[in-house]
Amino acid sequence: MNDLDKTEAGRFSELHLELQDWLAGYVDGELNEHHTAIVEAHLVGCEACRADVARQQATSRRFHDMPTTRMPIELHKQLDNALANTPDYSEQAPSTTSRFNLRQWLTGLYRPAVVGAGGWAVALVLAGVLWLPDVGVMSHGHIPMVSDALADYQKVALTDLPALGNTTDSSVPAKLAGGRLLASWHTTVGGEPAEAFAMRRGNSLVIQYRISEQVLFRNPDVRQAMATMGDYRTRENQLEVLAIPMKESGLLVVGPANAMPATSDLELESI
Amino acid sequence: MRNARSKQQFDALTRPWRDRLFGVAQRQAWSREAAEDWTQETLLRAWRDFGQLTEQGAMYAWLLKILNRVVADDIRRDTRRNQLAPMLTTDDAFLQEQACTSAGPFEQTVQTQSNEQLMKAMQALPDNFRQVVLLRDIEGLNYQEIGQVLNIAQGTVMSRLSRGRRLLASLLIRAESRDGLAATSIHGSKST
Repeated sequence: MNDLDKTEAGRFSELHLELQDWLAGYVDGELNEHHTAIVEAHLVGCEACRADVARQQATSRRFHDMPTTRMPIELHKQLDNALANTPDYSEQAPSTTSRFNLRQWLTGLYRPAVVGAGGWAVALVLAGVLWLPDVGVMSHGHIPMVSDALADYQKVALTDLPALGNTTDSSVPAKLAGGRLLASWHTTVGGEPAEAFAMRRGNSLVIQYRISEQVLFRNPDVRQAMATMGDYRTRENQLEVLAIPMKESGLLVVGPANAMPATSDLELESI
Repeated sequence: MRNARSKQQFDALTRPWRDRLFGVAQRQAWSREAAEDWTQETLLRAWRDFGQLTEQGAMYAWLLKILNRVVADDIRRDTRRNQLAPMLTTDDAFLQEQACTSAGPFEQTVQTQSNEQLMKAMQALPDNFRQVVLLRDIEGLNYQEIGQVLNIAQGTVMSRLSRGRRLLASLLIRAESRDGLAATSIHGSKST
């Protein structure tokens, strides 16, 4: 082996050791394009790392398919009792009380300045309302399908999820990147039967409702939004509802605003 | 009155995650009682700190973070579990020698093992490795979320996951060869 070969072998060995720690990232698609290319180039010539990648994929798949553990009923009761008997740790509820005392701050200001600033604030808000571009999230007013879906979501959030039964991922109306099917059930949306599919996306619960076309297109605001933007989005507190037309049916997706997919991220079953 | 509302809100936000939280606890605990204690302690601490929660959407990650602290506190008291994480490379002699380490046979090995056997192997992992494998492969969190829960960098998540899965694979292969040998010796003794 000449010096050049030795140097090459040394470099390969160094890279080989370094890449050992990247293989999980490659398997999980967490590497950027540049690092993915480096790993793939190495894998071409390294049988040991190729085998490791295959083993990681196999173990990851197997564990991913393991069923969710159910907590025993007795433990639920025990927890309820323990929580009921805990003291009130101050008057708490997240994000509902502000430590900043606005009234106290305002009284410390020179009165004409407050009036003047108040006038400017009102003018700015009005200008904002008139001039800001439409961000695509509307108020749903009282569209029955939206209220029903939100009520169903909130009800499910308070109780145990129904059993999954024989439903498989392929029955879900829209494939969701990073989403996993947890449960499915039948419900009523807009006065007509609907199928619900609870999915886990990241740390959030996202529910898809397959509804009838009649229910989807019943409201004129929804029809208008579908015609101009292709979908309809609305929000209530932290929950967002997305309505999309599908072939011979409609889809409502409900979840926390930060976990909601873009319409382009949804792989619809048929359209 | 306000307390009741607040408790109701806490209950509504945490109840959907109880099963998953218990599952994570159980997969790390040495006994069912320990898993139950950890779950209860996690929820009690969560209630105590509920006022500090800023993002209700990230409830599960927040609960996992608390559980992680509860488990760490308990494990710190139990020095038996403080083990040095062994380093295993893809060139390890054991991985090279065994027939079932190549892709096809290994997949078969993993598929034929029961959930209990898999969890036993998972529990045999050192804590640092077990946490990341559990959060990624069972709980489905991404690297950023795991980093936030465990308070470590994403690069650390990746290296621990690479090493943890490698070690897990070797544990599963060892278990498979032990079972194979045991079966052979049983069948052998029957035939003689």
